[in-house]
Amino acid sequence: MDPVLDIRGLRKTFTLHAAGNRKVEALRGVSLRVAAGEHVALAGPSGAGKSSVLKCVYRTYLPSAGAIHLRRAGGTSVDLARLPDHEIAGLRHTEIAYVSQFLRAEPRRTALTVVARAGMRGGMAADLAAQAAAEALGRLRLDRSLWDTHPILLSGGEQQRVNLAAATIAPARLLLLDEPVAALDAANRRAVLDLVTSLPTRGAAVLSVFHDPDILHRVATRVILLHAGQITADGAPADLLATADLR
Amino acid sequence: MSWALRVAGLGVIYGGGCDRCPERTGPAAGAADPGLDAVDASGPGASRVVCDRCGSVVAAWDVSFEVAPGESLGVIGESGSGKSTVLRTIAGDLTPWAGAAWLAALDGGATDLFTLDRAARRRLRAGDLGMVYQDPAEGLDLEISAGGNVIEPLTAAGWRHFVRMRSRAAELLGRTEVPVDRMDDLVHTFSGGMRQRVQIAKALATSPGVVLLDEPTSGLDASVAAGVLDLIRELSEELGLATVVVSHDFQVMHMLARRVLVMHHGRVVEEGLTDQLLEDPQHPYSQRLVAAAR
Amino acid sequence: MTAAIEDLLGPAAPYSWGFLDEQSKREIRRAILTAVAVPGYQVPFGSREMPVARGWGSGGLQVTLAIAGEADVVKVIDQGDDAGVNAVNLRRLIASTTGVATTTDAREATIVQTRHRVPEGPMRAGQVLVLQVPVPEPLRAVERGEAEQRQLHAEGDYARMWVSLYEDLVRHGVITCTTGYPCLVGGRYVIATSPIPRWDCPKLHQSEHLSVFGAGREKRIYAIPPHTDVEPLTFEDVPFEVERTPGAACVLCGAVEAYLVEVPGRGWVCSDTDWCARRRRAS
Repeated sequence: MDPVLDIRGLRKTFTLHAAGNRKVEALRGVSLRVAAGEHVALAGPSGAGKSSVLKCVYRTYLPSAGAIHLRRAGGTSVDLARLPDHEIAGLRHTEIAYVSQFLRAEPRRTALTVVARAGMRGGMAADLAAQAAAEALGRLRLDRSLWDTHPILLSGGEQQRVNLAAATIAPARLLLLDEPVAALDAANRRAVLDLVTSLPTRGAAVLSVFHDPDILHRVATRVILLHAGQITADGAPADLLATADLR
Repeated sequence: MSWALRVAGLGVIYGGGCDRCPERTGPAAGAADPGLDAVDASGPGASRVVCDRCGSVVAAWDVSFEVAPGESLGVIGESGSGKSTVLRTIAGDLTPWAGAAWLAALDGGATDLFTLDRAARRRLRAGDLGMVYQDPAEGLDLEISAGGNVIEPLTAAGWRHFVRMRSRAAELLGRTEVPVDRMDDLVHTFSGGMRQRVQIAKALATSPGVVLLDEPTSGLDASVAAGVLDLIRELSEELGLATVVVSHDFQVMHMLARRVLVMHHGRVVEEGLTDQLLEDPQHPYSQRLVAAAR
Repeated sequence: MTAAIEDLLGPAAPYSWGFLDEQSKREIRRAILTAVAVPGYQVPFGSREMPVARGWGSGGLQVTLAIAGEADVVKVIDQGDDAGVNAVNLRRLIASTTGVATTTDAREATIVQTRHRVPEGPMRAGQVLVLQVPVPEPLRAVERGEAEQRQLHAEGDYARMWVSLYEDLVRHGVITCTTGYPCLVGGRYVIATSPIPRWDCPKLHQSEHLSVFGAGREKRIYAIPPHTDVEPLTFEDVPFEVERTPGAACVLCGAVEAYLVEVPGRGWVCSDTDWCARRRRAS
């Protein structure tokens, strides 16, 4: 079956003009595929380029070379590396979701509204979206009393869960998760991981970054090791994580 | 039609202008290596707006962009970058030296705004194009009431029913969170933030499809500014407006704009999605601007 | 040897007919023709020095002297009264420089020069109403700059006038403009009807007579030809109202449907003295 995400020869080089045009190579030719129903986790030491891969796919970074093919809901394929800005913007609301530690501030929308609106952008009717939003926040164990609070007032962990709820409320084809449990305590982490584990079963393709090897075991169907901008290994979590040094 | 506003090759020159103006100005004018030379304001490859042949000021040159309905485009740059000049020219306050602009609402996008006479431009401002100025005193008459300011575009558009106009004004002021019991107060009695809200209400009076905002929150306290930005964003989404927001502040761009153009010395040096520009700026000037904002 | 003053003066050069020289009359007539051709448009003209000071009817006077011919019969009123001091002086000046007949009867006059009133009884085709205008520019209150005023008229952009009417209504519950009420002429230009009261504005609409407005100090002439629409600016849901004092009637002739003025100690009387006198004679 064709993968949802097909990255080929992805390179990313930063040119620091203020530092005498110094070049920093973050990615040196990364190729990987993620199929629907798969959860591929990127692992490796700090600075290996894991987040850079996600950001290139989401187009927060402009790829320097290579192709990032996305197979869309209708079956057509687009190269995210070459798509014009406004088309990327369109895809971000519908087919690609990105969850990071950082929440885009919407000062006057409540947590529930933020999630519901994400559902509406994904095509849900308003009342269904409101209901689904409540379910999503409940599943992620966000305290009910916080649902009417503005996210800017929430803790880091609470914001992350709002983020995740918004990203998963409408069925996105491709989910990019960048350390989604970094700021959570054990109990809340479990709730999030339950949700994350369920995503591939709903047909989504998931590409994630986790630094905790135990989590990788639990959620990933495949692990890809990155080191200094290149892939060094690609396989089932059990096989890789026993031998690799991830710190 | 994929766009609500389209601008092509816009150029604004103060002074006579000469045939060498475009190449003698701009970030890379004369620069052997458009690296740092393209940013500094001195040296043989200096970036400049004044043409060294004729002394004219090339405030903006070769600016092109499109804005889709419901989309917001940001234009960021420092003072003198030409960003406000571009906005004012589209609004009709300045005359361009070159270029064209079209509104989807005007003849289906077939008529170049810059070919219209003053009367037609005024009608456009009263109908399909709203403008919010950095200084509310420029967009409002401080000596008349808030309601009076809001109904002015309605009268220009031919509304003649007092009660209907008044109730439309009350609706808009309510929507922009100006206390309705202050509707008849003269605008000079309002605070800066409140004046800006009245200006926004006025710009929306005739339900235009495109709204231009020039530094809408500069001069306002941070909390007041946040409220105004938030209002602008909500209204844009609710009304499906296409907006162009000019600012020197990245926070404003982050809040309001989906895409951003970076202007320097009259030229567009980079354009991209807001988060991409903030995290992966390409042009030397953009990098410097983003670094300074951190 | 001393000379008598009369010897030194020599024979007086006679004034030209109508005080103004022929070139001046020609220019003023051309301005009037333009004004008639573009109803409501303020035509600039070279306003001459007249024997009345600026602000005392020099504009209306120039119009009357430019259009009067030997067969004309001239009536001059001030606030409806033929016997007012200014009306009397102007009438004398016109008569002495033209020799035309003068009258107080509005039905007999071919030219009626007036400040602040339109004769009460309807004027007929062939009559010219000449109005003395202190402030011809209706936009003066909302726009100080003359160039911008002319631009607004050129573009038909009267939004700020409408806003000032809105403000008036909001502040006072009614539109408080009393004289010089802004009216739209021929659906195109807004004029100041200065300084006639609101009561007289409807008389300009679809009139049989020609109205010419002369502003000497401001150097403008504008006109309303016969059968032209003149609509007072007002909102659809706020009808234009004329002045009324409930229960008032003229103590001399008993008229109720006339513009009345109050005389302290006597009560209300008709402002149009000629009309009032005719009513009294008729009854």
